[in-house]
Amino acid sequence: MRNLISSKENTWCIGCGNFGIFAAVRKCIKTLHEEGTPLADIVMTSGIGCHGKIFDYLDISGIYGLHGRALATAQGVKLANPKLNVITFGGDGDSLGEGLEHTLFAAKRNMDITLILHNNGNYGLTTGQASPLSDFGYKGLSTPFGNVEKPFNAISLLLEAGASFVARGYSAKIDHLAGILHQAIRHKGFSFVEVLQPCVSYNNTYQLYNEHTAFLDALPSDIEHARALAKDHEKQYLGIFHNETRAVYHELIAPAIPAMDVSARKRYLTEYQ
Amino acid sequence: MAQKIFTVLVGGKAGEGIKKAAQVIAHLAIIHNNHVFQTDDYQSLIKGGHNFSVVSMSPSRMYNTYKQANLVISFDSRSVDEHKGDLLEGGLHFCDEADVRDDTMIPLPLAKLVKTHYPEAGNMSLASIAIFCAVMGISEEFLKDTIAREFKRNQAENTSFALAVYQLVNQLDLQKVYELKQEQSVASKFYTGNQLLALGAWAAGLDCYFSYPMTPASSILHYLALKRDQLGIKTVHAESELAAANMALGACFAGKRAAVGSSGGGFALMQEAFSMAGMVEAPLLCFLSSRPGPATGVSTYTAQEDLFFALNQGHGEFPRIVASPDSFERAFTLAIELMNLAWESQSPAILLTEKHLSESATNLRLDISKVDEYQLAQPDSVNYQRYQFTQSGISPLKFPGSDSATDDDVIKWNTNEHLESGFRTDKATNIKLMKEKRQRKSAAIDSLSRKYRRVEVYGKGSTKVFAYGSTALELREAQKYIDFELVVPVYLEPFPHDELAAYRGKEVIVVEHSLNPNFARFLKEKLEIKVKANILRYDGRHFDAGELVNAIREAIDA
Repeated sequence: MRNLISSKENTWCIGCGNFGIFAAVRKCIKTLHEEGTPLADIVMTSGIGCHGKIFDYLDISGIYGLHGRALATAQGVKLANPKLNVITFGGDGDSLGEGLEHTLFAAKRNMDITLILHNNGNYGLTTGQASPLSDFGYKGLSTPFGNVEKPFNAISLLLEAGASFVARGYSAKIDHLAGILHQAIRHKGFSFVEVLQPCVSYNNTYQLYNEHTAFLDALPSDIEHARALAKDHEKQYLGIFHNETRAVYHELIAPAIPAMDVSARKRYLTEYQ
Repeated sequence: MAQKIFTVLVGGKAGEGIKKAAQVIAHLAIIHNNHVFQTDDYQSLIKGGHNFSVVSMSPSRMYNTYKQANLVISFDSRSVDEHKGDLLEGGLHFCDEADVRDDTMIPLPLAKLVKTHYPEAGNMSLASIAIFCAVMGISEEFLKDTIAREFKRNQAENTSFALAVYQLVNQLDLQKVYELKQEQSVASKFYTGNQLLALGAWAAGLDCYFSYPMTPASSILHYLALKRDQLGIKTVHAESELAAANMALGACFAGKRAAVGSSGGGFALMQEAFSMAGMVEAPLLCFLSSRPGPATGVSTYTAQEDLFFALNQGHGEFPRIVASPDSFERAFTLAIELMNLAWESQSPAILLTEKHLSESATNLRLDISKVDEYQLAQPDSVNYQRYQFTQSGISPLKFPGSDSATDDDVIKWNTNEHLESGFRTDKATNIKLMKEKRQRKSAAIDSLSRKYRRVEVYGKGSTKVFAYGSTALELREAQKYIDFELVVPVYLEPFPHDELAAYRGKEVIVVEHSLNPNFARFLKEKLEIKVKANILRYDGRHFDAGELVNAIREAIDA
């Protein structure tokens, strides 16, 4: 398999959690390729923010989309060509702020795509403003006196929206994350992976995560159990919270006949009138 | 006004089936070889209010309906009051006996008959079909068959009610003023403008249609959604216009023809995605059907306020195509042309239209000969670069997951300024080169669009009248009574300078549906025309032929 790292200069901060996500994604794609998935059938979309830079570093096809809209774009790609494995990279500002509607609706539809949420708890690229996942009291340039909003809980939110695969990884646990990503991409339906990603410049959470993360022993028994574990105050659990099989959108809306070529369309219209 | 035209107006409350009844009347006229035009005047509500539909028919082509009707059928007192002034001399105005105001109205016991013939709520709108049949001398049998075919519920009650009304009108022994049965055969299919836009885009390969409902564009989505299994098309009612537009861009990336549609408000939300189409060079086809604005405006009426909005859609600089259909035939062919041009030039295209075309209907034959195959720029087999520099500015296309794509192909579409490879760049020289590459496509679009009819001229006369979009239809109806040369730029961007060279500096009348003379301003800038008069209508209603004739005469005499 060819190299997946492009020749573009990498400008993430030294120690950025994005490096771990990048490594896990490459590892996962390598596994997919070994299992027989052509690289030509894997495409990515990304939003705008530090996470989005992965578009320049990961040498696979895709769209560097608009801020907040990468998941909408991804859904269009999948509907147009269901054969493609579509992976969206989103930041917490991107996927849960500007583009929250697309995240909830992709889950609601059970679109057969994967959203990898780079959760660094702030807007890194625009110098550390509060994000939808920033803690209450978080101080940034836009909240100099502390964030007065409570953060979303991404796992709980996506469970409620109807995501059929919901998991959490940690950028510093690359092998574990690669394994989750592999299952997420292989999952038929909407898969959501929240990745805890320390931001060394504005929200350095390495110590917090190293001390307060724990692996789930097993798949939670039901959604209620999953939600309780996702919201646990002591531990940030890592692993798969929910995994169900449900009909996927592109199959439910598929026309009874395949797309026609231009001459078939001409024939249809001639007969129609 | 020696035109042989018959107009029927049916009015009443929303939810009473007025539009459907008018469609059936239109259909009856068509099967008797009439050319027909139907307009529906309705409000943004489901029950109550006042709706009316108008059907004008003639042995010759119809380009609009008339305000003044030969036959008015009112189902409530509000309709009686609204339309008693719309009756032509010698015309008939039927209404319920309780709503009669004076002897210009013919009372019928409609409410009583509904109660007698239906055990529960009845369908009073059927009375209009029965009245039309009686007035036109259509047989009882024909009426019965029509009602049975068009209305599936309560068939026995419908028939007995319609026949009772029919017999009452027959007893009046009215003089026939219009011979319904015509000799020359006419096109039998009846289309709304939106159906023609949908079919045109589909004929040109539309695979996915993404939209969020907004009147008057919604019926494009409704029509394609219903036709899923006949046309093999995917439709998505997205969570918002932003979602719809960004999904459509994703579909283009995957190599499938996609389109979006909305009105002005929805397009305001899609502006960023439209810019993205310019930047990533996506062939995004957009239907923009205008209604009076700003903001929510007047949801269900017509306007042309969005001319500059369409021409300047999106932020930043990039080439685009904007064109507006001046007829129902063109709604079909222009959708084909714009889809093809969008793909040939990898640029976004806006088909700008109005409620008056979108939701009005006429009978016509589709010009299938306009459905052509065309060649896209083909990529080299090695070292594919999405934004490869070329003389025309148009780079070869390759799609992920397609037969020609290999594991070595990296196809990058980028909303950031980018290199030929599609990777992002901030470097001054690269920014300049890529902007110039995109800009070169403007000339390419201009030359590609020349194979189409970019300007249409109707009629002759020393007076020159300019209009675009469905305003041209209103003017063509007026041309039945007054001679003038009607000049219609179908393409607005690229502007057809060459075809219009003869009009440069000329004195003209400009007709449009906006408060400000936007189109006139546009023509002044492009052609240095001298405006003799602006004829403007901005109350959401379409122009009546008579009004236009008067306004043009006034302008000439001024």
